[in-house]
Amino acid sequence: MTEMSRARWLQATVTAAVMGVGIAPSVRAAAVDTQRAEHFRNDIKPILTEYCFDCHADGAKKGGVELDKFKTDAELLNDRELWFNVLKYVRSDVMPPSKKPHPDVAQKKKILEWIKSDVFLIDPAHPNPGRVTVHRLNRAEYRNTIRDLMGVEFDTDSEFPADDTGFGFDNISDVLTLSPMLLEKYLQAAEAIVAKSVPTTAYVMDEQSILGSRFTAKVIEDMPATMPAASMPATSPPTNARRQQNNANNNNRLRQKTPYLALSYYKPATATYTVTAKKDGKYHLVVDLTAKGNFASSGFDFNKASLALKLDGQELFHNEYAWAERREYHEEFDVNWTAGRHTFQFDLTPLTPGVKQTTQLEMHVDDVIVRGPVDRSQWVRPANYARYFPEQNTPEDAAGRKAAAKKLLRDFATRAFRRPADEPSVSRLADLAETVWSAPGKTYEQGIGKAITAILSSPRFLYREEQTLASGANQAPLVDEYSLASRLSYFLWSSMPDDQLLKLASKNELRKNLHAQVKRMLADPKATAFTENFTGQWLEARDVATVPIDVNRVADSEQLRRTKLQNDNEKRLTRTALQSEVREYFKYVVENDRDVIEFIDSDYTFLNERLATYYGVPDVTGEELRKVQLPPDSPRGGILTMGATLMVTSNPTRTSPVKRGQFILDNVLGIPSPPPPPDIPALEESRGKIKDHTPTLREQLALHREAPVCASCHNRMDPIGLSLEHFNALGLWRDKERGADIDTSGVLITGEKFKTIQDLKKILAANDRKDDFYRCFTEKLLTYALGRGMDYQDVGTIDQIVSKLDSQHGHFSALLAGVIDSPAFQRKQAGDGDGSSVTLVK
Amino acid sequence: MSNMGSSRGFSRRNFLRGVGVAMALPALESLQPLTAAAAATTAGQMATTATGAPLRTAFVYFPNGAIPGAWWPTGAGADFVLGKTMAPLETMRNNIQILRGLDHRTAEAGPDGGGDHARANSCFLTGVRLKKSASDLHAGVSFDQVLAKHYGDQTRFPSMELSCDFVRKSGSCDSGYSCAYTYNLAWSTPTTPLTPEPNPRLVFERMFGAGAHGERTANLLRRQEEQRSVLDFVMNDAKSMQRRLGAADTRKLDQYFTGVRDIETRIANAEKLGTTADPEMDTPSGIPANYEQHVQIMYDMMALAFQTDSTRISTMLLAHDGSNRSFADIGIAEGHHDLSHHRNRPEWIEKVASIDLWYAKQFNKFLEKLDSMKDIDGNSVLHNSMIVYGGGNADGNRHTHTNLPIILAGGGGGSLKPGRYVDMKSKPATNLFLTMADRLNVSKIARFGDSTGTLSQI
Repeated sequence: MTEMSRARWLQATVTAAVMGVGIAPSVRAAAVDTQRAEHFRNDIKPILTEYCFDCHADGAKKGGVELDKFKTDAELLNDRELWFNVLKYVRSDVMPPSKKPHPDVAQKKKILEWIKSDVFLIDPAHPNPGRVTVHRLNRAEYRNTIRDLMGVEFDTDSEFPADDTGFGFDNISDVLTLSPMLLEKYLQAAEAIVAKSVPTTAYVMDEQSILGSRFTAKVIEDMPATMPAASMPATSPPTNARRQQNNANNNNRLRQKTPYLALSYYKPATATYTVTAKKDGKYHLVVDLTAKGNFASSGFDFNKASLALKLDGQELFHNEYAWAERREYHEEFDVNWTAGRHTFQFDLTPLTPGVKQTTQLEMHVDDVIVRGPVDRSQWVRPANYARYFPEQNTPEDAAGRKAAAKKLLRDFATRAFRRPADEPSVSRLADLAETVWSAPGKTYEQGIGKAITAILSSPRFLYREEQTLASGANQAPLVDEYSLASRLSYFLWSSMPDDQLLKLASKNELRKNLHAQVKRMLADPKATAFTENFTGQWLEARDVATVPIDVNRVADSEQLRRTKLQNDNEKRLTRTALQSEVREYFKYVVENDRDVIEFIDSDYTFLNERLATYYGVPDVTGEELRKVQLPPDSPRGGILTMGATLMVTSNPTRTSPVKRGQFILDNVLGIPSPPPPPDIPALEESRGKIKDHTPTLREQLALHREAPVCASCHNRMDPIGLSLEHFNALGLWRDKERGADIDTSGVLITGEKFKTIQDLKKILAANDRKDDFYRCFTEKLLTYALGRGMDYQDVGTIDQIVSKLDSQHGHFSALLAGVIDSPAFQRKQAGDGDGSSVTLVK
Repeated sequence: MSNMGSSRGFSRRNFLRGVGVAMALPALESLQPLTAAAAATTAGQMATTATGAPLRTAFVYFPNGAIPGAWWPTGAGADFVLGKTMAPLETMRNNIQILRGLDHRTAEAGPDGGGDHARANSCFLTGVRLKKSASDLHAGVSFDQVLAKHYGDQTRFPSMELSCDFVRKSGSCDSGYSCAYTYNLAWSTPTTPLTPEPNPRLVFERMFGAGAHGERTANLLRRQEEQRSVLDFVMNDAKSMQRRLGAADTRKLDQYFTGVRDIETRIANAEKLGTTADPEMDTPSGIPANYEQHVQIMYDMMALAFQTDSTRISTMLLAHDGSNRSFADIGIAEGHHDLSHHRNRPEWIEKVASIDLWYAKQFNKFLEKLDSMKDIDGNSVLHNSMIVYGGGNADGNRHTHTNLPIILAGGGGGSLKPGRYVDMKSKPATNLFLTMADRLNVSKIARFGDSTGTLSQI
């Protein structure tokens, strides 16, 4: 602790003591220390002496914990990390060990209360809200904000580097740094986005762009309806894996959903589309094609095909195509059209019947673009024009123009900065626009575009600047309503506040209508971002798309046949469905305001036919995921036995009970274990002790736990992880492992015995254990909502939310309201805090 | 192939085919280094060889250590036999020095417990003990950035940070260390990591401009002009914002100011140094799906940056320490990190060694490429380079940080003595950096990280 922060900390100590205990303000800090220490000696130490000192005092320091090591009272009261651990372990009954005598409920409460009030100095009436540093938009937030502000998709996943994460989330403001390279990318992105969305002139030639997928295709032969199978990926929803794949191959700066039409080289096909020309005149046509093939290990594919395009029966072109990994073709034509209907028809003809097919050659029709009439008098307003230039006609005179520019830039900047733009900035923006439009050959619209580029490059757009209201006595100030609007919208939408939120904030009526607004926001489709980004990271469901699991080594032949996982497309669809299950389950709990304990144990889940087959649940047909009532004895239901969770906690070729156990401790029970010590005794040392057979993983782990240094953590992790051994690395059920019976029984560190994963779920969801999950889930949600890690000062807030959950039957709405109403969400500590912190969740 | 259709596309394959397979880059003649114009460089200047050519420095990181028994050569000095996993480097053996006995003791657990991968990674170029925190970042200025601060203004880019690792895992990274430690090598300040770029297209466009060959320089100049006018506005905005913020926020906004100044400096440098090269090749498309192709094209980008003297300093994170990538191409389905904790099982050790060998093979291709590029003084670009290839973990199984696998490739413009296997006998790896600074004529650095002096033998 620096001198400065120490002084502030002492000051806080005094203040807290004054408020909490009622001592005169002139009292010296040392006296307060003494008083708190006496409280410890009189009320707390006797309990610790009875239940803890056998292992943690008088020279004994099991697990490195020594409760009587303090030379002075100040040392005792300042070791917040130690006391936080005591709080955590005593509260969750991890300590004292299950076989030893335990303090009674009142004694336990005394310890916890003393830590909170005398060590953490938490004042329940006025908890410290903590402080979030100014928050840079992360990739998801930037993309969504641009979508809502500009109406275009910008592919931040391929244009920006991945954001660093902290506490398991990528929206933690302290780690969202800005490197010079990223700033450069922001400048380029601003230009590209403006180029894509802001019109540069008042009138343009009319244009219709017809994506290939809008053509009606007929494949001659016994192919499935309308489209060849190989084109399926283009029309199915993108998964993360696919998005990455797309990004990797994407040359376009701005992501366009271009569902092309795929025509196989091996089957004759025709595809037609009819456009309507509004007027007579000269038109310009553009056709974009891509020839596509993969490398084949079985040799080069020498097949060829020809493709012809006919317009109203007349041939425009007719070419031959051979193998290409990815080759784009671009054809242009001028035509004279009368107003009315005109039909395009592509004819693909295979040219090499009998030549061996070694891969899948395809011609993709990306799009056909119809521009015209070419004549200037027939031009129209560009798309998007009204969005940026709401006035019908731009004034011709210089002063009128400037005034119009100011008005529209003021409105735009207010939305982009998420708070009113100040007049000096508006003037500077208008000046910048004017320097552009006054240059020869430049338009008014280009000037505005330039100013918008500057707005999108501004730190006021890239960072979420917060302001606070005047603070009351002894109380951290509230954030202003604009800040609150952004806190809400980035929490629930990962995007900017919409007009309604900004309007309420401008009238100072957002707090008054907070709960109605939260309800509205959750019902908005944009709330998908909350589900995606929160569960995607909390449960690591994002990783399902990329986690490397070797299907052939993990699944047996029956499973391979049933799940069709050897087929890449099936594998992708399965992974997508596994992710969707997590998402739909979460959405269901949120939207139906269920008890959040159903994340641990429930008799339902969300399946489509593919997943039902995967899990062995009968009678589910079709691609759509829906809520399915599970058979009474089903091990599924809840996040612990979702395929997604089971996969992301596995190694590529086998399960990892340790990873699974640790995942559950970290993300479900909130009792993270410390990292392994540097010199881990090797498992094979223990392996040598079993001579008569190859030891099972369970046996190896048991031997491993004999080493005391390993036991403390593995006693907690292993039983939980081993309870899931009936699920292989793909999350598929197995009755046996390599022919041997599977033993899933175990004892929790807290003493409860279980035989199966079903038993374990019941134990964790039961009344006397469920607070562990409530607390963990609250911590995760608060971390995500605030964009910062949990601090010792937040213990009070978390406890309050957990007791609210207890009294309100665990309803999600109680949790959400608890988070949003909490001082941490509503307020902001003035200054920079005392510079010291103990991180609760690592 | 179509006889009528006009191709508007390009792909990595076309790119490779266009320029030949072994030599993926255009010949030097078409790409005069910028210093040719500024060939008045005098000997004794920083990052310049005795012959007046640019002297480049690169740091290439490979993850999870190397199986020691398979890595280290036998013999000593010029008389050595390469270890099994270094065998691919045989063709370049006269251009490398294998340095034994270099340590990063600040990456050891010390009081901080677990997290050896995060430490290995961000200690590698900083040589300091990292602050163990998930959000409160504190490392040190990395050595490449120290160099950049001394002579980065001689080239259009003070330095270039590259990576082949772009898929991020959700959740926590390593035992309470922020993921920023795990995914970054370069740090411009103790609190600002420099995020590396994994997309070869973006690297290329940043160096030479967007668009087709022939249009790029104009595009680049236009972009600079556009940026300049925007920078004036945003600088003003940032200043007014700063006045409203508290101290911690101001520190964060400093990163923005630094960024603005950095871009301004670069624009000024570009003007000072004249027009840029415009390689006669297609712009690479995005990130190749195949890892080997990705690694090779990123090496290509680094080679191109060096050849055109766009920068003299570069870092490359092939994969972060702790990377659990599998290598299907060489028949390894398991994850690299999982395998690295092999617990002495021979079949696992064998697999990790194959991965070590794979990385060495990729690196050797890069060296061969640099060796075949002719620099302005008639030597090869490799001769006029100092390239550190290594990692901050020695034995991945036990997480040791002494006797790190480190190779120093290149001739240092004649100042190094490659073609040898040298034992430093347990010296801080930062001593190597000090020695490099010395060869770069950066004389003002007396200490770096935990350094104790320079190495005399290299």
